[in-house]
Amino acid sequence: MKPVLVIGGGIAGIQASLDLADRGTKVHLVERTPSIGGVMAQLDKTFPTMDCSICILAPKMIECYRHLNITIHTQSEVVGLEGVVGDFNVKILEHPRSVDSAKCTGCGLCSEKCPVKKPSDFQAGLGQRKAIYLAFPQAVPLLATIDREACLWFTKGICKTCEKVCPAKAVDYEQKENTVELNVSSVIAATGFEQYNPKDIGEYGYGRYKNVLTALEFERLVCASGPTGGLLNRPSDGKVSHNIAFIQCVGSRTQTTGYPYCSASCCMYATKEAVLIKEHEPSSHVTIFYMDLRTFGKGFQGFVDRAQSYWGVKYIRGRPGEIREDPSTKDLTILYENTEIGKVEKMEVDLVVLCTAAIPHRENRKLGGVLGVELDEFGFFADKNMLTAPVESSKPGIYVCGSCHGPRDIPESVAEASATAAKAAEDAARAEVKQ
Amino acid sequence: MKVAFFPGCTAQADQIGYEASVRAIMPKLGVELAEMEGAACCGYPPYSSVSEAAWFYSSARDMAIAEGMGLPLFTLCNGCHLSFTETKHALAKDSVLKAKINEKLTREGLHYEGKAELLHVFELLHDKLGKEKIAAAVIKPLTGFRFGAHPGCHSIRPSSLGRPDDSENPHKLDDLINWTGAQAVEYPGKVDCCGSSLASVSGKTVMEIAGDKLKTVKGLALDGLVTTCPFCFKVYDNRQRAIAAAVGDRTLEVPVFYYTQLLGLAMGIGQERLGLELNQSPVDPVLARIGGA
Repeated sequence: MKPVLVIGGGIAGIQASLDLADRGTKVHLVERTPSIGGVMAQLDKTFPTMDCSICILAPKMIECYRHLNITIHTQSEVVGLEGVVGDFNVKILEHPRSVDSAKCTGCGLCSEKCPVKKPSDFQAGLGQRKAIYLAFPQAVPLLATIDREACLWFTKGICKTCEKVCPAKAVDYEQKENTVELNVSSVIAATGFEQYNPKDIGEYGYGRYKNVLTALEFERLVCASGPTGGLLNRPSDGKVSHNIAFIQCVGSRTQTTGYPYCSASCCMYATKEAVLIKEHEPSSHVTIFYMDLRTFGKGFQGFVDRAQSYWGVKYIRGRPGEIREDPSTKDLTILYENTEIGKVEKMEVDLVVLCTAAIPHRENRKLGGVLGVELDEFGFFADKNMLTAPVESSKPGIYVCGSCHGPRDIPESVAEASATAAKAAEDAARAEVKQ
Repeated sequence: MKVAFFPGCTAQADQIGYEASVRAIMPKLGVELAEMEGAACCGYPPYSSVSEAAWFYSSARDMAIAEGMGLPLFTLCNGCHLSFTETKHALAKDSVLKAKINEKLTREGLHYEGKAELLHVFELLHDKLGKEKIAAAVIKPLTGFRFGAHPGCHSIRPSSLGRPDDSENPHKLDDLINWTGAQAVEYPGKVDCCGSSLASVSGKTVMEIAGDKLKTVKGLALDGLVTTCPFCFKVYDNRQRAIAAAVGDRTLEVPVFYYTQLLGLAMGIGQERLGLELNQSPVDPVLARIGGA
């Protein structure tokens, strides 16, 4: 039976791959970064169950890796697609890892000795990684990779420390990029989203005030595998923060700077992060500034109710107008209108977390061009029909799941992934009959 | 560089020190101020509640004069700059009104096309002259002095019209202060309104808003507040004693300067030529320190 191409190795791509592989269909899973896992691997906990995110995800990642029906292409991108459903010829460009995947054991010694430090993507920029590095502790495949733009050998022709210390002799500076050509029956796009950069919303001071973070940055701060080991040391002075505020809809649901749509998961993840703070230190003050609380999923309203009644998380309806920083203490003052009582008020806090919009990935336009599928007005992949064909793209045989076609939370992404797997399996079976 | 000089009513009627300081520094910076014969009020946007057309007419008339001179229109007042900008935008969209205004302007031999470049103080000093020219003119650097910048609303808002500086994180006045050798200190509420436009509605609110900023500046032990807007200056400087009384803090004393006065001092120009005797806030101790430096 012809294989199926899955683009994107986040939770949606992983779920779609596993569903297909388990029913006996071969899958090629293409991932742009050095490891599969996606954004879910960066999260500390999940809502509404407060499960450890990586603990749910890692077994699925490992299963993808060891599944006989799944081939993972990391640091790869889809650069060409021709043909029709049942008979797509695709071209995959594999970028060099500069490490022999057959030899590397993932011991991490190279990374330990490497002299170059760069901000870590996995730690959302809060921590650092080396020029040769493992993406994160649970990376799959657990292989080192060299960031050629940072590496001293590639930029200045010096160093080669990693090659000297590698006990497996796996470092290979000569590795070239490689093109793989495949014939597949159908394609599943699960390329995910990216986060809105709140620098454009100057009144919140992100980028100017060290103690204003995005929710993903906070997720790393609160996580035990994060840069502070889960202590809420705020960036300006390392003080443990006990008074924290969340601002919802930063760059979403706005007609001015940002995007007009709802980002779907922020009300819930803010509540989750608020509860995490309370779990760390129950005497902490946590406030969530919201416009509307959107708790539409299974168990969501109960989760918010419990955050309020049991944990004492405070919810204030109002969109703050401005954040100010005390130049000496770096404490922050939030100016807002409490719209439930119609009063303009101020609140002093240690740390502010901006719940930013989920926006279309910057690669969508390029990938959409390669695949020949339409994008919507914002740059997400367009659905064939939002009601009756919600996981089909504008082109037969190409399916979309997860946040690449609009903001989604994990449960919805997983459900959609299984739906696309069923659709793709149908195509694979039909292609088999034709032959 | 030559510019058509539009001091504006407020500077000419009661903020004479501002105009004096501008006239003192500009020639030394290589800027020739060309007088605009027949120029009148900028139009003053609140007049639009009586007649919007009259606002646009007076505003367009001044711009037509500059256009006729073939020079950029240099304004001292944030309010005038915004009035001209708004008119320019409105007339670019409304060709009927533009034609009507031009019909009236023809009687004076004037014509408005919207070609005259508008120059705010920030744009002239910061963008056109820039750090090198300003720094080269500074011969008595104000080293050791710390000032708070007050850009004033109309120099930064509304951002949709394109203002001289960023609406949420303005830095040009801070840069200009730093170029004199002094230090511009970031303080919370830098982009706050001075309150002056509320004066006709609620004097008490003006006092409270302005008092907040003066308290912040005093709390940080700054050497003063610096602005380029005559309306803001009128509040912080001229009304300072009233503010102190209204907020019940008689010790609220903050020296307030026009930026052009500070720059003049740094350029070694005599205090008497910078209109400093007209500042009503307690600037003397600062002047004494600068004089002795």
